[in-house]
Amino acid sequence: MSEIKQAAGTPLSASVQANVHAVNARFGSSSDLVVRLFRSDAAPERVIALLYICGLVETDTINESIIAPMMAMELPPYAEEKGDLLLESMRACVVPVSSVKDVTTLEEALQYMTDGRCLLMADGSAMALLADVSGGNQRSVGIPQTQTVIRGPQRGFVEDVQTNVSLVRRIIRSSDLHVQTHKIGEQTHSNVAVLYLNGVVDPSIVKEVYRRLADIDIDGVLESGYIEEFIQDESFTMFPTMMNTERPDTVAASLLEGRVAILVDGSPIALIAPTTFFSFFDSPEDYYQRFDIATFIRMIRYVAYVISMVFPAFYIAITTFHQEMLPTTLLISLAAQREGVPFPGLVEALLMETTFEVLREAGLRMPRAIGPAISIVGALVLGQSAVQAGIVSAGMVIVVSFTAISNFVMPEFNMAGTSRTIRFGIMIMAGLFGFLGIFLSVLFIMVHLASLRSFGVPYMSPFAPKPKKAGIWRGVFIRKPWWSIVLRPMDTNLRNPKRQGSGRRPPAQRHSRQ
Amino acid sequence: MRTMRGLLCCLLLLLQTGCWNRVELNDVAIISATGVDWQNGKWVLSYQVVIPKAISSQSGESGSAAVNVFSTTGDNFRIAISKASEETSRRLYFSHNQVVIIGESAARKGMGPLLESYLRNHDSRETVSMFLSKGSARRMLEQLVPLEQIPGAAIQRMIANEEHGSSAFRQMTANDVLMELLGSAQATSIPGLVIAGEGEGTDSVGMLGKTTTPTKVRLSELGLIQGDKLVGWIDDEQSRGLMWLTNHINKTTLSFSCAGGSKSRASSSAKILTASTKLTPEHVDGKWLIKAKVEATGLLMEYNCPGDLSKPAEVEKLERRIEEEIKAVIAEGWEAVRKQGVDVTGFGTLIHKRYPKLWKQASADWKELFPKTELEVEARMKLNSTGMSGRNFKDAQKKAGGG
Repeated sequence: MSEIKQAAGTPLSASVQANVHAVNARFGSSSDLVVRLFRSDAAPERVIALLYICGLVETDTINESIIAPMMAMELPPYAEEKGDLLLESMRACVVPVSSVKDVTTLEEALQYMTDGRCLLMADGSAMALLADVSGGNQRSVGIPQTQTVIRGPQRGFVEDVQTNVSLVRRIIRSSDLHVQTHKIGEQTHSNVAVLYLNGVVDPSIVKEVYRRLADIDIDGVLESGYIEEFIQDESFTMFPTMMNTERPDTVAASLLEGRVAILVDGSPIALIAPTTFFSFFDSPEDYYQRFDIATFIRMIRYVAYVISMVFPAFYIAITTFHQEMLPTTLLISLAAQREGVPFPGLVEALLMETTFEVLREAGLRMPRAIGPAISIVGALVLGQSAVQAGIVSAGMVIVVSFTAISNFVMPEFNMAGTSRTIRFGIMIMAGLFGFLGIFLSVLFIMVHLASLRSFGVPYMSPFAPKPKKAGIWRGVFIRKPWWSIVLRPMDTNLRNPKRQGSGRRPPAQRHSRQ
Repeated sequence: MRTMRGLLCCLLLLLQTGCWNRVELNDVAIISATGVDWQNGKWVLSYQVVIPKAISSQSGESGSAAVNVFSTTGDNFRIAISKASEETSRRLYFSHNQVVIIGESAARKGMGPLLESYLRNHDSRETVSMFLSKGSARRMLEQLVPLEQIPGAAIQRMIANEEHGSSAFRQMTANDVLMELLGSAQATSIPGLVIAGEGEGTDSVGMLGKTTTPTKVRLSELGLIQGDKLVGWIDDEQSRGLMWLTNHINKTTLSFSCAGGSKSRASSSAKILTASTKLTPEHVDGKWLIKAKVEATGLLMEYNCPGDLSKPAEVEKLERRIEEEIKAVIAEGWEAVRKQGVDVTGFGTLIHKRYPKLWKQASADWKELFPKTELEVEARMKLNSTGMSGRNFKDAQKKAGGG
């Protein structure tokens, strides 16, 4: 019996005292719950209660827009008769706050209070008003910390989902930008906003996103990573099937390409789906700077990714199995470096790679004040001294450091992590079987990549399977000039696959001839 | 759980294989040159082993030589190589072997076993350059070469330099030798090495500290191989003629005299930039006639003959003169080869390709037929440039004085 009642929600009582008591009990008399009881001149015998959670609300707004007018309010004479009417009149005539809601159950009231609304109750009414006065301290919109560009907007997402949605809407000023907010998390009630561009996106993908979000049943969502793990297609893969970004412009660009963005309360990182393997190699800056330079840099990214994955393995394979493949002079200089090194190549490489990973992680976690110490330890102690002491060869240090630097070229941090982890596996295979091992690993990775899907879109699209739109693959390696990017890059059933008319190439000479 | 267990088993299996045929760089002795000698009825193999430590820039001690030479003996090649473990701490690694030097005694005994070993084993590479040496091959390996740290590599670069710049000899890789010896005529030619100069060998780093070395390795003479045995030698000029004939001239310098004829001094020279020779065999009265058509272009480099080269007619005259000289060089080479009776000219192969049926009859007594073969050379020379001056210096001087 009581359970059924709870499912429907505890109705508010007509007595303010009882309601205040109930709210206070639910919050366990938390010290940040502020209860203000007062009487108005207009209805002197009625107690009016104002409840809010300090820190989540703008105190100035409460003072000026709620308490002050309430105390000085003049109500129509009939208002005093019934509590409901009192509240109704207050909403209609007194409280100058744009968003006011009325609720009848305690649970709803509590829910809105934790969102930063203040609860208004009057004696004799079993209803409550909730005025939106949310505010409090938030991080202000600033430069993105994790994805920097030289040319391009310098605004990054913050932790508040409303602000983040507004940042995107400031870029796409269209009613076609649809936003749907879900509450996920039994305890955290986090807002999860799904953004898409109506008329462009494949509706089945949006539906799929909703379906997967609805399946989540978790006590708390602290970061978008929680959501990502619940809704991604394949859990047991090292490759991310959703893109993460801190940049509103990247989200906007993805929406224009017909993707869906998911913003999560408490996280400045947005999720973008569906995503293909190759889109991780695009930096937003590719599309802001000159196309020829951007193409060159994109090529470098691909090369760097391959290097960061296989270069140490390659070195191991060549120096321990395939010495005949090196030019003689290089072989001799490598051999000279290895003289007196006690470990086999594989152990040496694993040692150095592990050292680097430890250094990297330490640099990330340690307090900022002792940051410079790590560069001294890393560069001098582990690099130079290790070589001089004859524990590792100089060539290996070069290989490891070049691999490490290559890894940081990736614009997407999650994809960089993939190659960093897989590298160790390939290194061991190379140490066991030489080039054969590398080849097997790469083959395995290729097959695995081809098997992945991101919200139904093949991960290796537009290469595998064969794309439906001819020539779409060209945009993968080459950043084409803007006037020639006619099609949206995704090989899905987009509502509107064309992003501009064709044949918009600017004429060669536009200056007036006289 | 089951799959995890299965995966674990696979992983353990993987580890059971060990590290396959892993060899660390400091477990191998990198060989830069090999020498083959025949002594007292046994093969003597000499190895020039690189000492990486002596070469590397950071730990290089200038006092020690970059290579070490040692020899092993055996009845056959592989047993000799396997005996190397009796005196070296590392596995011999042949994949970076640059040159194979065959001593004259071994070459006269026959190169068959060496080539057999090359064909059969995968770690011996067919790109290695082959040389004959007058005298012991081991002695060649012991010579240090100025400018280069590894003598084996130095010899290899020397022949490459010769091939591209002067073309008196060409690089004979093991592959070339094998192809020619397994070809129609079963004959080949391999450049020879000698130690030039008097006195002790240049075999210590200290000797490289001086401005001249008492002895040095140099290319000299071309050894002619019939079957698998050394038959005879032809000298450098004859070898150059042979290179002209066999279309192996890349760039060379051709010296010629003003009037022609063998008596006058060759006072002028032209640099040949491109040269191609086309051979066409013809069967005339039971004998073979080879028609050679040579086309060459070049620059005039040195001119000590009369005539004003600013006039086209003079230049043409000069071109005819050079053509004659080319013919003379080819004739010299051809006569030398003909005298030895070894078909290193590739005529046999040519005839085999052009007239397969006739070759079937000819091949049996090609040894007799080859020296009787006639050669007809037609040369065409084009001078691209005569340089910056018209007359030779002395004439110009006279003209200036007189004028």
